[in-house]
Amino acid sequence: MRALWTNIDYVASVILFLIGLYAIMVKGNLIKKLMGLNIMETAVFAFVMSAGIVTDGDAPIMGAGAKPPFANPLPQGLILTGIVVALSTSALALSLIIRIYRQYGTIESDDLWGVE
Amino acid sequence: MGGGQWPVVLIITPLIGAALTPILARRRPQIAGYWALFVFSIVTLAAGVLMYRVSTQGPFSYYMGGWRPPLGIELRFDEFSASIGVICLIGWLSLMFSLAYAKHALPERRIPYYFALVLLCLGGMNGFAVTGDIFNLFVFLEILSLSGYALVAITGERIAELAAFKYLVMGAISSLSILLAVGFMYALTGTLNMTDLAMRLRDVEPFPVAVAVGALTLGFSVKAALLPLHIWLPDAHSIAPSPVSAILSGLVVKIGVLGMLRMYQILYKAQIFDLSALNTTLMWLGAISIVLGALFAMVQEDIKMMLAYSTISNIGYIFMGLGLASKYGIIGASVHIFNHALIKATLFLGAGALIHQTGYRNLEDLRGVGKAMPITSAAIAIGAISIVGIPPTAGFLCKWYIALGAIEAGRLFFAVTLLFGALFIFVYYIRMLNAFYFMPPAHPEILDVGEAPVTMLIPIVVLAMLCLLMGIFGRIPLSFIEPAVTNMLAPIGG
Repeated sequence: MRALWTNIDYVASVILFLIGLYAIMVKGNLIKKLMGLNIMETAVFAFVMSAGIVTDGDAPIMGAGAKPPFANPLPQGLILTGIVVALSTSALALSLIIRIYRQYGTIESDDLWGVE
Repeated sequence: MGGGQWPVVLIITPLIGAALTPILARRRPQIAGYWALFVFSIVTLAAGVLMYRVSTQGPFSYYMGGWRPPLGIELRFDEFSASIGVICLIGWLSLMFSLAYAKHALPERRIPYYFALVLLCLGGMNGFAVTGDIFNLFVFLEILSLSGYALVAITGERIAELAAFKYLVMGAISSLSILLAVGFMYALTGTLNMTDLAMRLRDVEPFPVAVAVGALTLGFSVKAALLPLHIWLPDAHSIAPSPVSAILSGLVVKIGVLGMLRMYQILYKAQIFDLSALNTTLMWLGAISIVLGALFAMVQEDIKMMLAYSTISNIGYIFMGLGLASKYGIIGASVHIFNHALIKATLFLGAGALIHQTGYRNLEDLRGVGKAMPITSAAIAIGAISIVGIPPTAGFLCKWYIALGAIEAGRLFFAVTLLFGALFIFVYYIRMLNAFYFMPPAHPEILDVGEAPVTMLIPIVVLAMLCLLMGIFGRIPLSFIEPAVTNMLAPIGG
């Protein structure tokens, strides 16, 4: 129990991840599926970010007044890239959804099964 | 370091070329294809130089901006990176095929975007093959996947957008699980460099590493369409424009396998835990993929759908070879990556030419096309014989090696599965060839169509020739793969 409490940030990420996965698998609306995907992405980002936390760490900017300990900048760099990737995925998915709506007049996957 | 910058050319050139394509071709969309072909010729040249260098001098590295790892990003060119050879070959031929195909199959204003996306996808794959950094691996994977999703949707035909959306959701989940694994590895070891990672993983606790390995396996098997995770593949591969199908089926799914090989490279070096559970899982999933993929393919009417299911079946062979974890098994799997890419590109481009000329996709409608388009049909026949694995074609060699690997690992059952799989595959390709050559045409006017334009015919013929030649000169891919596999399986310090 204590281990869960000290790693509360990891536990939160896992819960978020599962919520996202649930939305993708269960929700029929394509937009909701995409939202689930975004929740999953956020969970992974939060997880990697929290791995880079240094207690009382300062922003790692060198210059006058800089004093260790510093937060690890690499996970932040990675996640910044990850966010860009997630953004382009969402943009592409949204434009696909628009095209699907224009073509079939619905974005409920239950109704879309029929057209295949 | 003479010529050391060539790996950068591989990645940067197609990316810049892709960004420029829509600008250059704004007024005259037709020049986009020639521009893309020109850009990719430079890349192919660089690939040739690099492959020559790796075969004479062995693996080498390039450090971006001169920063050495662990601070800098390393581009590492080893024998597995030699897969850029097949990426460039098939990429170049598919671009050539696209010149005439795109004019016919796509609205004019989309043509520049089509070529830009193909270049992006190929550039991403080259980057994936040569990078030595696991985060870069993820970035390149995303570049090639995102352009792949867009390419599936680009025709706007029937269910293209739906297929692309399904592909996107599955692909995005798999990418996330790979990113999660990268995060795990970094949190555990504090490094992203593959060589460094293998060294440091030996000192960490095995359990979190096992979670990361699980996430990586999940991610890469979605990309490679291993059986329970294959549901996105048939629609996406059959609805995409045919040259794109050739790229997706021949190369993009192989990227997942290449990712697995990279992971195994690290794990074998680190030797932190027993891999037999993972290997057994992959072996079984591979065997199930072979049989079910072939069974699904048997009942398809649409020719491209059939080829798409056949890809699933062949991916099964590759995973089975990997899972056997014996030297011959892994060699067979790696050779099959190359050979299946050639064979499937032949088949998809051939099918593309048939559909382009006749306008039909179903086997029943395509009856008698063997007389109308003899060269294309012959190329498809060579591809079919090759994929079944009849000697002396390309497919024989890898299946032989995988069977040897199964015997070497003492798993006779899997050798038998492999033979049965080949039998099933034989059945549905016979069905296809029977329709082409021996059945009376369902539509008499099909006998009047001629061969496809010459720019479409050349890639098909070249690939079909290679399918034959690779069986006879099978030592060429083997000369790259054998040392790589021996190296991979050798314990560190040994």
